Amino acid sequence: MAETLTAIAMMAAIVYLTRATGYFVGLQLRHIRGIQPVLEALPGCAFMAILAPAVRHGSPSEILAMACVVLIMWRTNNVVLSTVVGMLVLLLGGPYLDS
Amino acid sequence: MTTRQSLVHGIRTSADYFLSTFIFGVMFGIAAQAAGLEHWQALLMCASVFTASGQFAALEFWQAPLPLATIALSVFLVSTRNILLGMAMTHHFDGHSLGRRITWLFLLNDPGVVNSFLQPAEVDRLGYVTGYGLSMMTSWLLSTFIGLNGAQLFAALDLGAVSFAGPLVLATMMMLFFKSSKTPPTPWILSGATALALVEIGSPDYAVLLGSVLIGMAAAIWQTRRRYG
Repeated sequence: MAETLTAIAMMAAIVYLTRATGYFVGLQLRHIRGIQPVLEALPGCAFMAILAPAVRHGSPSEILAMACVVLIMWRTNNVVLSTVVGMLVLLLGGPYLDS
Repeated sequence: MTTRQSLVHGIRTSADYFLSTFIFGVMFGIAAQAAGLEHWQALLMCASVFTASGQFAALEFWQAPLPLATIALSVFLVSTRNILLGMAMTHHFDGHSLGRRITWLFLLNDPGVVNSFLQPAEVDRLGYVTGYGLSMMTSWLLSTFIGLNGAQLFAALDLGAVSFAGPLVLATMMMLFFKSSKTPPTPWILSGATALALVEIGSPDYAVLLGSVLIGMAAAIWQTRRRYG
């Protein structure tokens, strides 16, 4: 039990520190002219660094699900609709497309 | 708009990602039950760690004796994007006490930050992101509770198929970025291309993340210099 609580406390500390570190590093950099758009571009860069390899290694159903999500978001901006359609493609299309 | 009003506004506009988070929470509850976590331990983890990707990563290694160093490294690596989220909010939390900023950074979350950029200027960003975070936390705890208690009901589902749900949710956020951006998306496109190139040459995950973010940052600096001279 103590080991489990230690692990949870350690995880909580690490995640909080990642949140706080970025903010306080940003505070040190904020005096630099034009830094705001650069800082605001960074989360998107991280998302792309995760998404591109995930698609590259994706199965046919995963690539199709991703294409559906991107298309629906592009046309409607509806997060729930795009996520539900993507999940349905994964759940229902997987057995047929990936076999 | 006051901080309190912005907080309520954050809660009100979070319905979309409340539902997306709910799906993840149910999956996490099922996975936690399978990994041998007691219900209160899984819920304590959700309430204190509050990050889906980090918690799923930790569960991959959750067997006695717990490999604490491995868990720490994996949680850190998948949470590194929080550093960038924190940096992105640097200019938006002004006007609040340091104590309040330190406390409420706990609720910093991806969809809250992304959607805060879409809000009108009068919305207080700290209140908004906090309201969004409270909504996400509620969804995360409720759905994990359901997943923990309904694990046997969901046993027949092929949960491996929905492990790709994470990238799908990230893709919705990325599309919000693309559609709301006032500048060309060059940094993000270059980040994605760099990530693909690094994956092709067999780079480890941390190098893919670091390399592609650095290239994206360089492109953003170049773009800003061209814009502001």
